[in-house]
Amino acid sequence: MSTSPEQQRREESAGLMEYSTESLVPFGPIHPALKEPEYFKLVLEGERIVNVIPRIGYVHRGLEKAAESRPWVQNMYMFERTCGICSFVHSLCYGQAVEELTLFQVPKRAKYIRTIIAEMERIHSHLLWVGLMGHWAGFDTLFMWVWNDREVVLDLVEAISGNRVHKSMNAFCGVRRDMPENMKDRIVERMKFLTDRARYYREVIDTEETMLVRTENIGRVSQDTAEKLCAVGPMARYVGLRQDVRLNDPYAAYDEVPLDIVTTTEGDVHALLRLRLDELVASANIVSYAVENLPDGPIRVKVPPVIPAGEHSSHCEAPRGEIFYYVKSSGGRTPERVKSRQPTMANLPTALEMLKGQTLADIPIVLTAIDPCFGCMDRMSFYDTETNRRWTWSGEELRQYGVNHYFPDRSKKQRGFTKAIDSSINRRQRESI
Amino acid sequence: MSETVTKLESYAEEVGTKVTALRKNENIVEVPQDKLKTFVAHVVNDLHIRHLMTITGLDLGENLGITYHFSLERDTIHVRSFVPKTKPVAVSIVDIVPGAILYEMELHDMFGIEFAGNPWKDQKLLLPDDWPADLPPPLLKTSKADQIRKRLGLEVEKK
Repeated sequence: MSTSPEQQRREESAGLMEYSTESLVPFGPIHPALKEPEYFKLVLEGERIVNVIPRIGYVHRGLEKAAESRPWVQNMYMFERTCGICSFVHSLCYGQAVEELTLFQVPKRAKYIRTIIAEMERIHSHLLWVGLMGHWAGFDTLFMWVWNDREVVLDLVEAISGNRVHKSMNAFCGVRRDMPENMKDRIVERMKFLTDRARYYREVIDTEETMLVRTENIGRVSQDTAEKLCAVGPMARYVGLRQDVRLNDPYAAYDEVPLDIVTTTEGDVHALLRLRLDELVASANIVSYAVENLPDGPIRVKVPPVIPAGEHSSHCEAPRGEIFYYVKSSGGRTPERVKSRQPTMANLPTALEMLKGQTLADIPIVLTAIDPCFGCMDRMSFYDTETNRRWTWSGEELRQYGVNHYFPDRSKKQRGFTKAIDSSINRRQRESI
Repeated sequence: MSETVTKLESYAEEVGTKVTALRKNENIVEVPQDKLKTFVAHVVNDLHIRHLMTITGLDLGENLGITYHFSLERDTIHVRSFVPKTKPVAVSIVDIVPGAILYEMELHDMFGIEFAGNPWKDQKLLLPDDWPADLPPPLLKTSKADQIRKRLGLEVEKK
């Protein structure tokens, strides 16, 4: 555990000259009890961020290594546990890569059911994100409304698969559970409700001052930069790149359902908010169409436990962007190599580029904007190289700093109200641990 | 045969290798290390395939395989290169594809491959800072999960 003084000095100064005007802010790693831990070294010049150095891996569990000693089928449900929000799409992508090696065909009904679940997952993930954006911007009413509406889609997922988050719906060449009967009308009705709500939220974010001040002209990045840094998903689409695996390389039933790929060219965090709300409407349309046109037939083909030798890669559009799986088989019961790449990894270089030039107060908004799979700012310590002063802020304090920075006139009563709710939430979380 | 594949074959010929079709719209090219940058520059600048999905490392016994997965719409191109296990030094493509920076760091951590030219190559990305120097990189076949757990003191006593 011991580090040499030289190494420690390098750590603290991020390789900068010791007497420079720039100061270094270590950001994270974060309390694992709330969300996921992350660490960024932020180099500041006054209030402006000039450089960001990431240090990830605090929750690296070695899934790729673990996959090499587990049977093919077991791996599918292990990879589903990669993420607690977009779980289904991981098993789908891994499954597709393996299915290609087996030469069995996936039944059409299974393809439609996969599409329905994947799109419902996108709706729930996007709603979760819009709520978090509201929270970090200092607009907790939005957070509570949106998360309440998110329950609607989670209930549907539970009714279909039996679980809210880890659906375990996929199997090789099919799905494990059929769609329940008599759910068609209910799903269509709920999708219509969610479409109306998304349109309403769209109106809210375009008119509400809190959201406009915090998100407009924040986190700009050029189209060329995003393309060079290989951004994926909404992070590519918000600068005008038509980058969507559903459109470019259709899988499941995406070549048969009406696809509406949304792009914007505004390129700020506000555009990302609009884009994700528009995508939500598009996803609701896909679900309604797929439910109404669900073909009859079998839902699964049985696949032998030994997968023929070969290698294949597959990519899918997760809510956060493209995910990628590569599998290599030597003809045994366990894979020889599985590689998985998640969208946050691909979007991290772009996010660092977005942070440059922003102020300290914008960190929560910009980092949440990429919809990170870690996105928590629970604890950060500050270090000022000029005065040798260190201090630590909790995530809530950082949020308050951001809110006060933009809205200094807000009444203390109003701030106190938000804080009271937050502290009651924190207390409940602490009690549940 | 699509236009992309025809062009790809001419670039492959230039560096003295050939294109193998894995399946429809999916091709693999094996390129030697010294010609890798020339070939990747052709793919990125001339074919305009700018999206690098990721880089995969492979333990192939004596050699380590490095596969760059490029994609443009329906086309997927895997560019594979090899480095010997005894001297795992590869060229970095960060100056051509800036988005490759984290993937190269990941391979450095997981396979011990050093990418000459990567600005952050001395920094760890996924492994802990105090990862013991005598332990082999975790994704090599010689590295066993039990051994890593024991060495890092993560062993859980079985009841």
